[in-house]
Amino acid sequence: MKQFRFWASTLSLAALMSAGCFLVSGQFTVVFNFDTPITVSSPTAVFGQLIDLSTVDEYNDNKDKIDTVSDLALLGQFTNTGVATTVEVWMVASPGAPLTTDAAVRAAGTRIWGPMTLDNGATATIGWDQSAQLFVGRAELISEIKGDGEFALYALGTTGTYSFTIENGALVAVISAGQ
Amino acid sequence: MKRLFATALVALALATSTAHATGIEAGVFGGLSIPIVQDDQKQGTTFGLRVPVKLVPLLTVEPFFASSAMGEAEEEIGGFTYTREGFDVTSFGANVLLTMGGPVSFYPFAGVGQTSLKRAGFDDSFTTFNGGLGIGISPAPKFSIHVRGELQAVVDGETSRKFGNATVGLHYALFSAP
Repeated sequence: MKQFRFWASTLSLAALMSAGCFLVSGQFTVVFNFDTPITVSSPTAVFGQLIDLSTVDEYNDNKDKIDTVSDLALLGQFTNTGVATTVEVWMVASPGAPLTTDAAVRAAGTRIWGPMTLDNGATATIGWDQSAQLFVGRAELISEIKGDGEFALYALGTTGTYSFTIENGALVAVISAGQ
Repeated sequence: MKRLFATALVALALATSTAHATGIEAGVFGGLSIPIVQDDQKQGTTFGLRVPVKLVPLLTVEPFFASSAMGEAEEEIGGFTYTREGFDVTSFGANVLLTMGGPVSFYPFAGVGQTSLKRAGFDDSFTTFNGGLGIGISPAPKFSIHVRGELQAVVDGETSRKFGNATVGLHYALFSAP
């Protein structure tokens, strides 16, 4: 009986220690607020939002312990000030000098989100659930978040001419961080 | 003499507890599921089915199915309150219970299974480990009520989503043999 107790205790302890790596973990929401408003006047006058996640406490507290990013959203109020278009968001992984044209962003970046239809004159507030379904470059964005956390995001239209604004925009990432 | 008395007492207890050494029950349960250190969802409800199969005295294997609807999380950003729906959680697997018989039993359990997490923009399955403690009370022949507290860990890489589940269940003995 004593032997049984000893082995039961030892095995339980070993199981707890081996499980510790995934039990001591959590999911934390990191919110990076964009400049507001972001104004995109035309395909030759786009605006890049520089992202530096190291300025967000939740990111800094867990940066070295991030295992995966379990949820993503781009939020904000989009207002179309031009013709009807669809909006996409592109990521430039290594932001240097700000890019100012649609063509330059498409050449240097990766589409990560969209398209989202934006009618002429319409204002749309993108909700978290809706936004989460519009990601097409999740892996690329997650790689940047798990890396140095510095990149640039550009919102582009898909029509020949377009103009729109984004107010109170934000990037939301739910990071899974362990020991 | 004391040792002999203690041995006799234990033997009597085991004999009583294993009056039905093997058997099969069917049970339903429901309760609360509470996410632990998860910013992106809130408390929800859970329900499910279990089929405890008592193989040998003290040991019960219990296949189970559970479904949970987690609550939505809120985040205030730029003066707007955004909500994120909680996961629809579907789990199946098997627990091993160290059970004693009798009208009141107190038992630890642990198990492994597969859990599917679904919500807008996310649909994936993961290995799950769970364990906890339960109390079973048999108010009438063939019926027993089970109250359980359980930690469920849905493993994703080197991290996990953890849920604390508190449930109440009703079991019916389909078959039992001495």
